[in-house]
Amino acid sequence: MSRRPLTAWAFLAPYAVAVALLILVPALLNVGYAGTDHTGLTRDPRFVGLANVRRLLDDSFLVDSLQASLFHVALAVPVRLVAAVGLGLLLAAPRPGGRWFRTAVYLPTVIPDVALAVLFLWVLNPLYGPLNQLLGLVGHPGFTWLADPTTARVGVVLMLAFPIGEGFVVVLAARRMLNGRLYEAAALEGCGPVGQLRRLTLPLLAPVLVLLAVRDTILTLQVNFVPAYVLTDGRPANATLYLPVYIFDQVFEFSGFAYGSLITILLMLVTAAVITVQLVMVRRWRVLR
Amino acid sequence: MSDARGVIRLESLTKAYGRVTALDGVDLEVRAGEMVTLVGPSGSGKSTVLRLIAGLDRPDHGRVWVDGQDVATVPPHRRAVAMVFQDYALYPHLTVRGNLLFGLQVRRVRRAEADRRARAAAERLGIADLLDRYPDQMSGGQRQRVALARALLREPSVYLLDEPLASLDAPLRFATRADLLALHRELRTTTIHVTHDQQEAMTLGDRVVVLAGGRVRQVGPPQQVYDEPADTFVAGFLGSPPMNLVPGGGLLGGDAGATLGVRPEDLALDGAAPVEVTLEAVEALGSEAVLLTRADDGTRLTVRTGPRPGVGPGERVRLRVDPARVHRFDTATGLRR
Repeated sequence: MSRRPLTAWAFLAPYAVAVALLILVPALLNVGYAGTDHTGLTRDPRFVGLANVRRLLDDSFLVDSLQASLFHVALAVPVRLVAAVGLGLLLAAPRPGGRWFRTAVYLPTVIPDVALAVLFLWVLNPLYGPLNQLLGLVGHPGFTWLADPTTARVGVVLMLAFPIGEGFVVVLAARRMLNGRLYEAAALEGCGPVGQLRRLTLPLLAPVLVLLAVRDTILTLQVNFVPAYVLTDGRPANATLYLPVYIFDQVFEFSGFAYGSLITILLMLVTAAVITVQLVMVRRWRVLR
Repeated sequence: MSDARGVIRLESLTKAYGRVTALDGVDLEVRAGEMVTLVGPSGSGKSTVLRLIAGLDRPDHGRVWVDGQDVATVPPHRRAVAMVFQDYALYPHLTVRGNLLFGLQVRRVRRAEADRRARAAAERLGIADLLDRYPDQMSGGQRQRVALARALLREPSVYLLDEPLASLDAPLRFATRADLLALHRELRTTTIHVTHDQQEAMTLGDRVVVLAGGRVRQVGPPQQVYDEPADTFVAGFLGSPPMNLVPGGGLLGGDAGATLGVRPEDLALDGAAPVEVTLEAVEALGSEAVLLTRADDGTRLTVRTGPRPGVGPGERVRLRVDPARVHRFDTATGLRR
């Protein structure tokens, strides 16, 4: 009997070791470095107390960075969620050619994000990019996408609206697990497609949707590094200087390893704060039972 | 129109799902206020009949009349029918109250009125104290009552019950069966009750409809269907243990081209009778006993007797056949002669 848990632990051990070595220890070291003057090359970093924190409170670039990140998460999470849920529900029902559409939705997720970003350099090009061409068809003069602060941020969100495969697959699977009888019962009571979406599908999927929103918040605050690095490098006017970009700049460009470490902790706190707000709203609106 | 309220008429209903034919020309008329049970083995098309009446599926051929109206183009919620599903199909994210109010809210009944009606329906079915429970906090019997209450709130011309008792355990099924009958007596609303349980079909139905292979095999009052089965299928399906069917007649009296049938209760032990068989097993059921016997020509006959028959396996026994209770069927067609 007592061998069973032992076997389980034995199988878990490699993963536990990896988590400890690759995540837990670096995370703790990171906290330690945040209180030093480590540049990344210093042999013996000295403890400097709250000096880095004082610098943090007086850093106008950090304010830009926080604004950029919050703007991004506020727009990207809803856009990505609506896209994943909308497409998931639309394509959950078996219909001819459905598998091709489902594949098409998933495809951008398997493309490396650097490749996708390079593609979006072309998509967002103000002169020959297809997006402005499409806007031209409806008589709009188009935008200078990556040259203007607001449209640059929107451009990054647009790019990240495509790799939504994981959320899409989760919604697809969750929708298919719902009991079809419920929909028949609702139809008999006069509940049409919109009513069924509002009264059945969304409430029944609520636990999944909350999970996806939380996951996407964590993800979205971090994955904007690659598009920002390739598309804008934090510009224009720091509009896309998202926290991960700023951390990278501090750590690897400005030799501010310790300061960058401190900002990663800030990124974690921001993530926790946004998720807390979400969960409070979930509770306030009684989304979950 | 008002005369036809509660009348259901099905005319040569045919429905196939892919290559599987579920219904193959079903004609049936259900009278107003009647409780009809549809009985048949699984896959016989019973539930399909309900789905076509409710409008959840469309027939390939044939017509459905509800309340004297051809409902071919009428969407499900405009048909005056309420359906209770086998798994009850309660909305798991809503309380009992939410489940009952669902349809009323969709139909935009005013809140106070809806509350009053939901409470009345809950009280009628004895679930008024469960209004704040969620479906997964209730027993099968309680859920079944919620499903019935939800159907009541539709105030339909016809109730369609799809095996509503199948998921209940035996004692509860027995009690609920009586409740269903009482409810039907009180409401006098046309009810079509689908079941695969022949006992349920016999006890609940004013008339029994036996379905097999997507066709109606026989329609009639329960006792009549039992006493005069229209073919060998109905003879074998209704009654437990099933009727003894002997192709060619054999020891029941030779009749080439005919299959003779006799129910186990129409055979009796009688030392002076001509039919001699070997007793293979005795199933004592407490209030009665079932004897499994085999004749020398290999024919197996099941006999129902009183308890404690006083004979044991391996003994030779003689059986008396009640000649008035022997059924004759055409062996080729299976139909009653």
